[in-house]
Amino acid sequence: MLRLAFAVLALTTLPAFADPLPQPGGDVILTVSGDIDVTNAGNTAVFDLGMLRALGVTEIVTETIWTEGEQRFEGVALVDLMARLGVEDGTLRATAINDYAVDVPVSDAVEGGPIIAYIRNGAPMSVRDKGPLWIVYPYDRSAEYRSEVIYSRSIWQLNRIAIQD
Amino acid sequence: MPATPTRAGGRRSRTALRLLVSVLAGGLGVAAVVLLTLNVVRELRLLNSASSDNVQWTLSQAEVEFLELDIYLGEALRTDRPDLQAVRREFDIFYSRISILSNASIYAPLRYVDSFDQSLRTLRAFLDATVPLIDGPDHTLRQALPMLKSQAIDLRPVVRMLSNSGLDHFARTSDERRRSVSETLIQLAIGVMLLMLMLIALAAYLAALNAQNIRRRTEVQQTSERMKIVTGTSLDAVIVSDDNGRILDFNAAAESIFGHAARDAIGQDLGAMIVPDHHRAAHTAGMERMRAHGEKRVVGKGRVKLEAKRANGQIFPVELAIQSADTENGEIFIAFLRDISHRVEAERQLVKARDRALAGEKAKTDFLATMSHEIRTPLNGLLGNLTLLQDTRLTAQQMRYIHNMNTSGRLLMSHISDVLDITKYDAGKLRLNPVDMNLSQLIQDIVDSQSGAATAQNSVITWGWTGPPAHWIRADRERIQHILINLIGNAVKFTRQGRISVTAEVLDDIGSDPQVRISVRDTGIGIDAEILPHIFDDFMTGDSSYARDVGGTGLGLGIARRFVRALGGDLSVESENGVGSVFHASFPIQPVAAPAPAAESAARGSGTAPLDVLLVEDNEINRMVAREMLAADGHRVVEAHDGREGVTRAARERFDLILMDISMPVMDGRHATRAIRSGEGASARTPIVALTANAMADEQEAFLEDGMNDILTKPLSRDALKAVLAACGAAVTASAPEAEGPKDSAAAEIDSRQIADLRETLGAEALQTLLGRFESEVDTLIGWLAHGTPPGDEIMQRAHKVAGSAATFGAAGLRGALVAVETAAKQRDEEEMAKAIARLGPIWQATRGRIG
Repeated sequence: MLRLAFAVLALTTLPAFADPLPQPGGDVILTVSGDIDVTNAGNTAVFDLGMLRALGVTEIVTETIWTEGEQRFEGVALVDLMARLGVEDGTLRATAINDYAVDVPVSDAVEGGPIIAYIRNGAPMSVRDKGPLWIVYPYDRSAEYRSEVIYSRSIWQLNRIAIQD
Repeated sequence: MPATPTRAGGRRSRTALRLLVSVLAGGLGVAAVVLLTLNVVRELRLLNSASSDNVQWTLSQAEVEFLELDIYLGEALRTDRPDLQAVRREFDIFYSRISILSNASIYAPLRYVDSFDQSLRTLRAFLDATVPLIDGPDHTLRQALPMLKSQAIDLRPVVRMLSNSGLDHFARTSDERRRSVSETLIQLAIGVMLLMLMLIALAAYLAALNAQNIRRRTEVQQTSERMKIVTGTSLDAVIVSDDNGRILDFNAAAESIFGHAARDAIGQDLGAMIVPDHHRAAHTAGMERMRAHGEKRVVGKGRVKLEAKRANGQIFPVELAIQSADTENGEIFIAFLRDISHRVEAERQLVKARDRALAGEKAKTDFLATMSHEIRTPLNGLLGNLTLLQDTRLTAQQMRYIHNMNTSGRLLMSHISDVLDITKYDAGKLRLNPVDMNLSQLIQDIVDSQSGAATAQNSVITWGWTGPPAHWIRADRERIQHILINLIGNAVKFTRQGRISVTAEVLDDIGSDPQVRISVRDTGIGIDAEILPHIFDDFMTGDSSYARDVGGTGLGLGIARRFVRALGGDLSVESENGVGSVFHASFPIQPVAAPAPAAESAARGSGTAPLDVLLVEDNEINRMVAREMLAADGHRVVEAHDGREGVTRAARERFDLILMDISMPVMDGRHATRAIRSGEGASARTPIVALTANAMADEQEAFLEDGMNDILTKPLSRDALKAVLAACGAAVTASAPEAEGPKDSAAAEIDSRQIADLRETLGAEALQTLLGRFESEVDTLIGWLAHGTPPGDEIMQRAHKVAGSAATFGAAGLRGALVAVETAAKQRDEEEMAKAIARLGPIWQATRGRIG
């Protein structure tokens, strides 16, 4: 319903409307900073698992080079997240718990594109198991998603994102 | 030319083969390059779509993360309130890294490396053993920190081993990959090079091929140019067409002859363009036939005359030759045409000129023939009346005048006959009329007839055979007689107190008909050497007063030579002035056996018994002359004025003889003869004798075919008429002896004129000699017949011979009796012959008394 409303708003080409984000009820697992239209904690937007789930669940079934066999990932589509935050262009600097960081262009955030996964094979991911969040591309869908660049953008143990120009 | 297509075909197939090989080689090269390229692309894709993450980084990261865990462990040991959360986080991160190395597919090959695998196992054992401590409560973890730290120190070389062995492996793999790529690239390069070489070779080959083609084309062009020049300068039209009749080439001469420009003509239908409309169907049919069956009626058959059509529709004659040739585009036809309208026109003019000349010649001949006829008819009347006048009572002076007139008239007649003969010969109408004849008899008769004249000149004339004689021959008696009379007559004329000798000799030439040479030699005045070469020319007369004395048209020798030549021989002369001349007449002869007696029947003689004669003649004078002549001999004459009247008369009355003029109004003689013969009239079987002024040999044959029995040439001479009547009378006597019965008075009849003629011609002495010979001849015959010889050829011949002699002396009765014997002998009628022989004696007794 929310997405529909957003879609309707987007269609009316009104400037991104800052529908206020709720405050997280559980542990914060993702913090988004930078050039965003919506915030709920100072200049940043913080999300617990429930809030991410509320942005819509997208599923990707694919193999990866880091796992054995077919994997079933559930998460929020990057495109849905960017839309919620009113981000249209620029670069995401995604940083892991151990401060490992990669740059992902906002243009990667398309329908059928990457998701920020929080469920792998039906279970939440622990840090020991590349959790809590992992940016997963649908590698099996296209050879373009099986390149060194895409593999490097597939960051796991993700916990924060900064939107840059 | 037929070899050309094969050669061309061979060339084509070889070229095709070379092309095929080139294409195959090129294709193989391209395929090889494509394959190699695909290899390269695959390799590149392998490089591109990295199945690996940044493995080296990940391996190093494992060591980094282990060191961080180690650092946090150390820090936790140094403080009283250690940051256990950070230790747990670093542990989890390291744990996560090792899980990836243990499980990720990209590290599967790495896990077969022993050192890596062992290191990994050691680390996993540590991690698995540590997890309960990490997940346990804080105090337990705090107590375990020193142990974990010492374990971490021990594990440091293991982690290093893990990352180093991994890096080493991936470096090796990467080397292999690079080597593989480089090998593929080298292969590709070699392939490309080979392909390039192949392409260069192909290009060189194509260049050579092209050069060859250019050379060939130049050659073909040169040949074509030459051909163009040849056909272009040809005076004959040269037209080339295909087998559908489409014009392929049309040279300059064709343009000027036909009036079509080459650019208009080429591609057009040959038939529509040059074949005249009325030959079009035949042309189309011919082309069709040729396409269907290959039948060629004109092609390759040499020059043919045809008609062709110009652009303006004019039809003109051409001479045409067509040849065919096989080319790569099928059969073509090359026609060479020559405009022969000028030649044809010239030929036409020539033919016209010739026809005109012939027509002129014919007109001249016709004119001469007509004129001679027209002159002879009145002359005939004149001479006939003179003859009649002689029989009237005359003084001696009148008799002499009449004799002179008669002589002049006959000379005139002979001149006219000469002219007519020349005309006929020159017009090619002189037909020979060969009959079985006795040459000796003829010469004898002529010599006899000339002997009087010779005697008058105090000359002696003799004749005889040199070598074996040839008495009976088949030849044109009249011509030979004419020749000999002319030659002997001349010799007599130009010889005074000399000797004329006539010799005949058979010249047997091997391989051809025998020839007879009759030489007439005299000891006369001779001929001037100057005149000698011209002696046979027309109108040639000697220039001496002597020659003028004897007179003549100057045509005599010309005609004689024409006649000898007509007989197939020639006439020649040798002469010496003042010594004499000799003429040789040589001509081929055809010796024959003894002939039928009838052949010699036309001897002179007088009529026998009085006959009933129908005279059919339109010319009043001629009719009167004939009538008087017949009446004088005691015949009964019935006259008819034209053919129709003659037919009517003949149908009503039975005559012994019909004399039939040929050209008459209402119905001519030939029609009348046919009418009489075809009818059932009283005189249907009566002998009919034609009276004609200018009968030629072919006409005479036609008369005989019409049913006539004999021909009398006008002017009618009493002698000729009598001969016919005698023959006829003999037949009458023979056929109806019982009815008529022997008439002694008539039988013993003698024509005293005949004797007088002979006496006049020969002289009394010679006549007496001849009469003596004649009397003994008859006596001998009658004596021989008395022996009762059976009828047969011998009697027939001997009776015939004596009958001829009897006729000569005008002993008509005797002759009639002898002819009766001859006829009976011929018919083998013994009884009749006996009767005829019985009659001979009394008649001969009566006759002998009167001729003496």
